[in-house]
Amino acid sequence: MSSSSPASGAVGRVSRAREYLAELWRRREFAVALGLGNLKARNASTSLGLVWWVLNPLLLGAVYFLVFGIFFQRQEPLRFLVYLLSGMFPFHFTSQAMTGGANSIIQNAKLLANLRFPRLLLPISALVESLVGFVASLGVLMVILFIAGQLIPETFFTFRLAYLPLVVLIHLTFNLGLGALTARLAVPFRDLNNLIPYVNRIWLYVTPIIWPLSLLDGLSGPMRSLVQINPMYSIVGLYRSALLGTPFIGDQVVRALAWSALTVVVGVYLFVRQEGHMVRYL
Amino acid sequence: MTRPAILVEHVDVRFRPFVDRKPTLRRSLANLRTRQVEEVVALDDVTFRVEKGEAFGVIGRNGAGKSTLLRVMARTLKPNTGRVVVNGRASTLLQLGVGFNPELSGARNIYLGGLSAGLRKAEVDEIFDDVVEYSGLGDAIHRPVKTYSSGMFSRLAFSVSMHLDPDILLLDEVLAVGDAEFREKSMQSMRDLLDRAGTIVFVSHALPQVADFCDRAMWLDAGRVRMIGEAKEVVDVYREYEKERRASAG
Ligand SMILES: Nc1ncnc2c1ncn2[C@@H]1O[C@H](COP(=O)(O)OP(=O)(O)O)[C@@H](O)[C@H]1O
Ligand SMILES: [Mg+2]
Repeated sequence: MSSSSPASGAVGRVSRAREYLAELWRRREFAVALGLGNLKARNASTSLGLVWWVLNPLLLGAVYFLVFGIFFQRQEPLRFLVYLLSGMFPFHFTSQAMTGGANSIIQNAKLLANLRFPRLLLPISALVESLVGFVASLGVLMVILFIAGQLIPETFFTFRLAYLPLVVLIHLTFNLGLGALTARLAVPFRDLNNLIPYVNRIWLYVTPIIWPLSLLDGLSGPMRSLVQINPMYSIVGLYRSALLGTPFIGDQVVRALAWSALTVVVGVYLFVRQEGHMVRYL
Repeated sequence: MTRPAILVEHVDVRFRPFVDRKPTLRRSLANLRTRQVEEVVALDDVTFRVEKGEAFGVIGRNGAGKSTLLRVMARTLKPNTGRVVVNGRASTLLQLGVGFNPELSGARNIYLGGLSAGLRKAEVDEIFDDVVEYSGLGDAIHRPVKTYSSGMFSRLAFSVSMHLDPDILLLDEVLAVGDAEFREKSMQSMRDLLDRAGTIVFVSHALPQVADFCDRAMWLDAGRVRMIGEAKEVVDVYREYEKERRASAG
């Protein structure tokens, strides 16, 4: 009677996964309180607080708008601005999710050493914090888009707001997986925090945010596929459809769904598999 | 024999500092090459039991493994080998104020502390007034915790912990809290807990307090159990040993 049969091992794993999820659900108020508490604490310690959530992507967008929209004399700067910001704001959410996930374990070392709870609550609390900031920034983005839409001739600007919550949900799921992954990696590799800004920068450059989609036409087939396989390519595409009224592309919807499902499963699995060892690294 | 509150059997905890502690990319790469990692034995074949209704002290020098032992009992750290059985709801108050955020008000921290310990929000609602009352903080409860004196902080943290209604309290050098009056109040609360067949494990450098308050005590030395017995006896032997060691050293 040394080891259990594979069947009972699989059954055991399924029931353990269910227990874990049940405990996560039971402790959900903790994750929310921790995330909101951190947000409030950050607001208290920086004078602009939540405003930075709007300012960061806005200022970054302004810089690229000046360089590519004005300096390179794009024909329709206003259209470019709308295109740029509708990509920059969601992208900022993902980069915050990466940073927040990476910090979530190390910042809460004391909790980890002292209390028992599903460790996934920590990256989830970081996600709660960034979600609040993102939703606030989306509100501002929509005001900007609305004003811009008034200034742009033709009916270029039509909200498909009904889809927006769904798009945010897909994006949120993707970010949860990503945050769990960076949290998992940051525990043994403290250098990750220094690396993430560079990863973010490169990711921004390969995503159609500061360059127009028409640039894809000049690429060879394989190169184009490579650009399109980027999860943010599809996710940003969905936001543009919801916010700017460009048609939803079936391919993009499927890819975004597949990426978020894959990322959340892999990220959470890798995180949970080693969460029992995390305390030894702190 | 009745079920003990805590059973620790042949527990070993080993850390590999260079791998386990704050590894960086460079260190990981270095380890790949050398592959020689030196182990720290934090706990070495530790065996003991703590009965229900007992106050159990743990003493020993810095680095003896006391905090590691408490973390093993709180089951936040898995031992490399050995077995730990805990019967009851352990309030793992290893340090005071775990889960607190100093930027936030005392009131918000009552919620954070309670939720982090496993309570639901509705349950914190129920104990909230009692926690504030017990802490004696009054209106200061609405001020950010970072403005508190260390005594005020301890009062709030201890008050939250006591209202979690634990069966087992694990305390890591947190007993000398607050002013004399609050210390007496907290001691009384702990005696009440013991009367209700609760259990307290209590790590402290305050030897008189251990001798006074604990029924039994254990002396840990470099991860090994040197002595288990009546608290006063263990404290006396330990004190004698430390005196001689200091005398021979200097
Ligand atoms: N996470 C860790 N990584 C590496 N070594 C550790 C870790 N935690 C504790 N140790 C080592 O284990 C030993 C016991 O530590 P500890 O339990 O904190 O002692 P005490 O609480 O009695 O002062 C010490 O040598 C300490 O350096
Ligand atoms: Mg210690």
